[in-house]
Amino acid sequence: MIEVKGVTKIYGKKDNEFKALSDVSFTIPDGGSVAILGKSGSGKSTLMHVMSGLDKPQIGQIIIDGKNILKLKAKEIDKFRSRKMSFIFQSFFVQGNESCYNNVSLPLEIADVSPSRRRKRVEAALRAVELYDKKKAKAKELSGGQKQRLAVARAIVNSPQILFADEPTGNLDSITGRVIENLLFNYHKKFHVTLVLVTHDPELSERCDIQIHIKDGVIDEIKRKKV
Amino acid sequence: MKIRDIVIRSGRSLKQAKARTILTSLAIAVGAFTITLSLAAGAGGRAYTDQIVKSNTDAKELSVTKTQPKNQQGPQKYSPNLGSTALSSELGIQTVLTQDDILKISKVPNVDSVSPDYNPVIKYITRVSQDKYIASVSTFSPSVTLTYAAGSTNGDIANNEIILTEEYVGALGFKNAQDSIGKMVEIAADKLSAPVTAPETKIFLFKIKAVSSKSGLAFRSQRSLLISNTVAKTLYDYINQDTHSYNYFLGASVRVNSAENADSVKNTLTGMGYTAQTASDILGVVNTFINVLQGILLGFGALAILTSIFGIINTQYISVLERTQQIGLMKALGMRKRDVGRLFKIEAAWIGFLGGAIGSGLAYVVGTLANPLISKALDLGDIRLLIFNPISMVIVVVGLILVSVASGILPARKASKLNPIDALRTE
Repeated sequence: MIEVKGVTKIYGKKDNEFKALSDVSFTIPDGGSVAILGKSGSGKSTLMHVMSGLDKPQIGQIIIDGKNILKLKAKEIDKFRSRKMSFIFQSFFVQGNESCYNNVSLPLEIADVSPSRRRKRVEAALRAVELYDKKKAKAKELSGGQKQRLAVARAIVNSPQILFADEPTGNLDSITGRVIENLLFNYHKKFHVTLVLVTHDPELSERCDIQIHIKDGVIDEIKRKKV
Repeated sequence: MKIRDIVIRSGRSLKQAKARTILTSLAIAVGAFTITLSLAAGAGGRAYTDQIVKSNTDAKELSVTKTQPKNQQGPQKYSPNLGSTALSSELGIQTVLTQDDILKISKVPNVDSVSPDYNPVIKYITRVSQDKYIASVSTFSPSVTLTYAAGSTNGDIANNEIILTEEYVGALGFKNAQDSIGKMVEIAADKLSAPVTAPETKIFLFKIKAVSSKSGLAFRSQRSLLISNTVAKTLYDYINQDTHSYNYFLGASVRVNSAENADSVKNTLTGMGYTAQTASDILGVVNTFINVLQGILLGFGALAILTSIFGIINTQYISVLERTQQIGLMKALGMRKRDVGRLFKIEAAWIGFLGGAIGSGLAYVVGTLANPLISKALDLGDIRLLIFNPISMVIVVVGLILVSVASGILPARKASKLNPIDALRTE
């Protein structure tokens, strides 16, 4: 379970103060799917950064599995991120000069997984996104859709509990976007992974259990799907 | 992240920027090349002088001079007592040893014998119906190792015997060195005290005992002909008797009864106002010279490395800038600050390793190829003037790796401090 309690994030100082988030609170059950919606500049990306411990809010708590991650030391947050979370970004951020295999193996190296165990998991992740035959190809040789599939493989290889995706289909055409969407939701359902999507694509957000609308750093509306 | 994985990742990212990596490491290679060569030259030079001194001197032998007045500024004041106790030489005025000194030294405990350096200045050497040649004559010492082109000595030579050098064999009209053995040569000497109007010259006859061949280990001038100490004194007496400088010597060699006593005799002599040098002292003097030369070369190498440090810093800063996104991603994936820093420090280490390996490897190849050429040019025979010590080469490479890591610290810190959110925003 992820609990966000009274989070306030301010950028800048004194005269240039800008409240990116203001007293934001909500809860996401384990294995839930959440879409964070809002216009650009509304604070939705900041919210994702705060929830993943990349950014620290001035006020508030982020409680994951009963632990306030904002109280953790840098080393522990890093460990937390490498073991329990994954990210998918709008502009992929795959390393063009590295092979697909080495792109996917990076999170496992960071999490200190031994080389012998890495191999199995990397290959399984590449198979899951149907890129196994591109194992040795350099990432820069892939098409946009393939790059995002590679990013998905990288995100699922360490079997995270929480998967953050920041506009995962934003740079893709609707057909390839749909492929990525299906990959994410299938994985979410199959492995009961909490999925946090930042998007302004209404179609994508409708597939989520919870929709959190953000406007000027304040929660405008939370919609929950009736089960 | 495991160090092994970091090393592999940083190696790969260097491979992806081949030209930059090689160019940066070439700058270090220049330094490594210079340092490796100067270390090799220093080691070779010291080994060479060690060999020279060992084969030309005897641990039982001390070379003694009068201790020169210190801090002498400007010309020395005349005093009647000083008078003829100072001899002028090429090196300036030197206080000399008198017969009294020789006697005093010979009475020092453990001293076997004292023989002044006679070095008689002869007029010429010749042979029946041959041209006359100038030559220098020195005293034969059984402790000096000589290589012979012909003939040999059994420890010592008789008073009427001489050892020629190879140069004089042809000049004096012999077919070859072997041909000259047993033949007679004439040495002419002028009596210096004879009036100019009535010069006196005497011919001394010598039988050729042996011919010494050129050796890379020869200490004294290649042209010195060697005669026994006794006949050197005879020649010296004839030439110098009744002159001002007669029986004043620049130096003397002292034979000690055993090598273990050499140091104590040396100390006694020092207390008595003499300067005594053992074989290892002489070696020390020569080695100081070599060390200074080596130090200068090392300085150039260090300068080259100093320059390359800025190259590494620059390259690594560019690398950090280029890979801002990658760093951001790694941090988002939970890579620790320390490991991000390490990634870049190890990259720098790779550059240092490459540069060191290229530079010292090249120095080894060049040095190995050049060794015979140098020996030939300097007439050193089989002696190798560049000695590559594998351990010092490893130390050079390891040292360069450390220097590179140190210069990678600033860029690595920049990388580790990057804020992942900002880094990932960079498009």
